[in-house]
Amino acid sequence: MSDQRRTSLKIIGTIGATCAFPFAADELYAQQEHTHTEGVTAQLPEPKYFSKEDFALLAKVAELIIPTTDTPGAIAAGVPAYIDFVVSRSAPQKKLFKDGLAWLKKNDLAQLTELCAAVDKGASKTPEQKWFKAMKSLTADGYWTSKIGMAQTLGYKGASILAEFPECREH
Amino acid sequence: MKTYDVVIVGSGAAGGTLAAHLARAGVAVAVVEGGPKINTRSDFNTHAMPWEFANRQIPRMKPGKEGMGSERARGLGGKSLTWNAVAWRQSHRDFKGKSIDGGGEDWPIDYPDLAPYYDIIEREVGVCGNYDGLPDLPDGVFLPPVPYKCSDKLIDKGARKLGLKTIHVRKATLSRAKFGRPACHFCGNCMAGCDVVAKYNSYDVHMVPALKTGKLEMIPNAVVREVVVNGDNKVTGVKYINRETKAEGEVHGKAVVISCACAQSVALMQMSKSRLYPNGIANSSGHLGKHFIPHFTGGVEAFLHGLKGAPLKDDEGFLDHAYLPSFMHERKRDYARSFGAQFGYQNRRGVGWAREIPGMGAGYKQAVKANYPAFVIFSPYGEMIPNPKSYLDLDEAKKDEFGLPSARRQVSWSDNDKKIFADMQNWSTEILKAAGADILQVYKEPRTNHELGGARMGSDPKTSIVNANCQTHDIKNLFVVDGSVFPSASEKNPTHTIMALAARLAVHIADRGKKGEL
Repeated sequence: MSDQRRTSLKIIGTIGATCAFPFAADELYAQQEHTHTEGVTAQLPEPKYFSKEDFALLAKVAELIIPTTDTPGAIAAGVPAYIDFVVSRSAPQKKLFKDGLAWLKKNDLAQLTELCAAVDKGASKTPEQKWFKAMKSLTADGYWTSKIGMAQTLGYKGASILAEFPECREH
Repeated sequence: MKTYDVVIVGSGAAGGTLAAHLARAGVAVAVVEGGPKINTRSDFNTHAMPWEFANRQIPRMKPGKEGMGSERARGLGGKSLTWNAVAWRQSHRDFKGKSIDGGGEDWPIDYPDLAPYYDIIEREVGVCGNYDGLPDLPDGVFLPPVPYKCSDKLIDKGARKLGLKTIHVRKATLSRAKFGRPACHFCGNCMAGCDVVAKYNSYDVHMVPALKTGKLEMIPNAVVREVVVNGDNKVTGVKYINRETKAEGEVHGKAVVISCACAQSVALMQMSKSRLYPNGIANSSGHLGKHFIPHFTGGVEAFLHGLKGAPLKDDEGFLDHAYLPSFMHERKRDYARSFGAQFGYQNRRGVGWAREIPGMGAGYKQAVKANYPAFVIFSPYGEMIPNPKSYLDLDEAKKDEFGLPSARRQVSWSDNDKKIFADMQNWSTEILKAAGADILQVYKEPRTNHELGGARMGSDPKTSIVNANCQTHDIKNLFVVDGSVFPSASEKNPTHTIMALAARLAVHIADRGKKGEL
């Protein structure tokens, strides 16, 4: 990442998009006590590339990156299936996700916050940093191009008919 | 076998315009197109959304519909089916850049030579825009302009702080119903294909109406691989490969016009080797393929403060509504030529920038939502000066699906190009900052766009391929008309000029036909 790019991202960082983890600590620990798959598999389709267990774990990470708030999050938007689809077709992605899953199985999910912060600052050396960048990119791509992400969360307006284009009056 | 008066290779803005004008003048024309017939009203994925597809990429064509398959076989209408319709007239400064500030080459024609043909095109296809009175962007015959989006208003305010002014974009898209075509209804992404023909395409607007003359025949699925020249130094027609069956075929004509878009036109000429022209047809000068001068674009992605968290509007339709005309010609600078800028022509069906927003969790989700209405891409276009390292040739090792060598683009940026690029990126950033914006990304490298040059027009047969009438210097009944004939590029989107050149060539050819010279 270039210096200029990093600076610009820092500027954006200051406007509210910090690495705040979406769960209170006790909620998170409670989740950790369950198996990785519980409560998640019920909503997930059959994976085509990942094992069921790995798929459920990745789904959990995707949901941590884009959680359900006033609108549904990554799992409801079908992000895990999108990731499964993209990774199944790309050798470099397969390698990244193999490394990422190995890291996930050895580390607490709470550590993702720190990992995310490091990657945001431009870190791209360790296998888990490289994986997280790919994971977040695919989660973002998959979510924001889903019907839930684009139409419901962002409120996409378009592909509709306007008799005339209303001139912008408020600026 | 039938011998047409004129065989036109390619059916885009150049070939389609020329075909219609010739047919209306009573000249028997065949348009030979590599791709299939496309039904513009039903075959494009104009209104699709990314979530309808597993990979979230919206395919150009609907399932089972053919078209836009490869560079040599797009379809009847060519690139005009999916262009953004920006339609500028070039000015005296664009035609005579070398005389004015050095570098490159002057055109052998000037604005008054082409002005009547710009008029004709605007009157028959419909161009919307404002009368701005700018010497550098001559006014024409316009339909009312399309109003500014909020992002345009904010960027205009920023530009004004720096002493600049934006104008309404001019596009060959109807802002009022006319010619039996409806007005634009702002349904979305023009470049996905306009399914109501509010936006110009050469198939629906030029060629189909010309069919009733009985003088126009369209031959789709015919990938031309050679223009044939006989021992008397006259072309006799073209040889093609059927796109579907790969069978060989021929079309005969008293004259041939090559208009299959810059790089492909040059490639076809380079593939047309003969005893008379061992290095490519009409290439006695050795300049075929040289002086390749595509526009180069920069780009700055940003979020406008004034639109962060604003209620989302339905403003995707028509894509860009405003334009920043070239202004550096009036200012002190250390390079020749200049740049202009389009902005806000991204559609809202992609959110690729969202992966660059830092953080994760609810805060991240909220940040993307707040930035969505505020995202804008500012896209300056620079004029390239020809240099010896930028040219078009054939890649014999890389054969396409028809067994033909691929057209290869060689581009090397000169110091002048690099200076323009740096300056246009800098100005773009400053304008956005003045408008109040967080800069997400400033593109580091120039990217080519609008391919021009390679068979340039000139008065000297030793250094150019065609003369002021688009007739090759070498062969009297062979013509070239499209971006390849541009001796210098200007910074303006070229299609309107290409169409005006085609309309002018039609008059020239029809006149010669009347004199029995075809």
